[in-house]
Amino acid sequence: MSDIAHCIDHTLVRPDATQAQIAHLCQEACERGFAAVAVNEVHAQLASELVHGCGVAVVVAVGFPLGATSTRVKSYEAQRAIEAGANELDVVINIGALKGAQHDLVAQDIAAVIRICHDAGTLCKAILECGLLDEDETVTACQLAQAAGADFVKTSTGYGPRGATTHDVALMRKTVGRAMGVKAAGGIRTYQEAVALLSAGANRLGISAASSLQILLEEATRATGQASNGIELGEWAR
Amino acid sequence: MQLDSRTLDSLVEEITKQVVATLKEQTGQSAAAGLPPTPVACPRCEEHGVQHRPEIARQALQDGASRLSTTLGLRSIAQDVAQYIDHTLLKPDASQAQITQLCDEARQHKFATVCINPTNVRLCSQLLHGSGVGVCTVVGFPLGATPVKVKSYEAQQAINDGATEVDMVINIGALKSKEYELVREDIASVTRTSHNNSAICKVIIEAALLTDDEKIRACQLAKEAGADYVKTSTGFGPGGATLHDVALMRQTVGPEMGVKAAGGIRTYQETVAMLKAGATRIGASASVKIVQAAKAA
Repeated sequence: MSDIAHCIDHTLVRPDATQAQIAHLCQEACERGFAAVAVNEVHAQLASELVHGCGVAVVVAVGFPLGATSTRVKSYEAQRAIEAGANELDVVINIGALKGAQHDLVAQDIAAVIRICHDAGTLCKAILECGLLDEDETVTACQLAQAAGADFVKTSTGYGPRGATTHDVALMRKTVGRAMGVKAAGGIRTYQEAVALLSAGANRLGISAASSLQILLEEATRATGQASNGIELGEWAR
Repeated sequence: MQLDSRTLDSLVEEITKQVVATLKEQTGQSAAAGLPPTPVACPRCEEHGVQHRPEIARQALQDGASRLSTTLGLRSIAQDVAQYIDHTLLKPDASQAQITQLCDEARQHKFATVCINPTNVRLCSQLLHGSGVGVCTVVGFPLGATPVKVKSYEAQQAINDGATEVDMVINIGALKSKEYELVREDIASVTRTSHNNSAICKVIIEAALLTDDEKIRACQLAKEAGADYVKTSTGFGPGGATLHDVALMRQTVGPEMGVKAAGGIRTYQETVAMLKAGATRIGASASVKIVQAAKAA
């Protein structure tokens, strides 16, 4: 059994993802004990139905991946996602506003979505997109998200210039302290990378579907000295 | 003989006009004689046709040819390409200063629109008030993976803020699963919202993720749904606009519907090539460089 599956959001947010692929994703998540499936909003309802009862949460991406829609639209999107069965929303902050030091705007934007989430018993993760930020901006974004009541801060969308680094995670963990969630996402492909990010302070990892299975395979191989947990990568190997 | 590129372009254009006129005559004669009309699509156009490879004609003239024969298809491309360009800045970290500069440039060069993310619509609408430059924004962008209701809501909000054009991304997963009703309704919903508010709707198919059959199907659905344009790419996908895709889209939607080429268009030559391939709008970030090169050409 995996030690890290319960930290992983098993993710498929490609624009060309089909319902059949989402169904595979959900099946794998239920079989392997991932923390959640992470999908775009158009697949929220299907995912919710398919993981029902197997202890896997449904994460839906909102304002994703650019974060450049209005608060009103992010709020509407959030409400519809929750209605469709989302348990957690990963929302991209207004990155342009952050870089323009419009801190109130950044805070209000994320706070609006957090309110909607918490009213519905849904968790909210604030995606910073560290690859577009300098260290000061990363720290500020964490502080704003924490003050606004976000449940997690998250490093990246996976669509930005780079994915998660241990440096990002360590900085975020240092800024928000012990209680808040820190999710690392983007470019996590190996067991070694996953463990390094968890060690740096992440307690959740967003990993693309093919890589999640690969990582569990590597974990199992290390544990037993040979591949033994019967994972076939076929569907996801591209 | 040595000819500058402007003269060469004029020559190519003039020759084509003559050939087109002759072909039309011939087509009329064939129809009258009960013969099938002269085919107007050159199957090897992409490789050899002057509209796709104007440099072939140019080179021939430079090498000393005094007569060229071409097939029809070349439209008259206005020297002033600014009117075809959506001056674009969609990076998520774009600052207000950059957006303001974008609008200044659009005013100055008389681009068709600025194309920005929804959070910047209000500012652009204010800055461009009275300028004749439109405000184009993006919906369901760039993944196209939000539900119909959400895309329509987003479009409405953008229009309320001052958008005059809405570029929406189709539900690509649904297209690939052949859920054509859903794809069409998604487009129709945003198109309705746009048209109800005097805005136009362009449909981004993200051609780089599609097979040729899927591109054709997406264009057909967009046309059926009443959209104003089909558009090649978001600029955030695995590939940008290609001449092949533009020509295919133009062929699919016919002569009236708009075709916007976007993604990776950086030079005046590329701009003209896209227009000649059938595009009627260009999405570009390097717009200023393009029009400066046009003036120098």
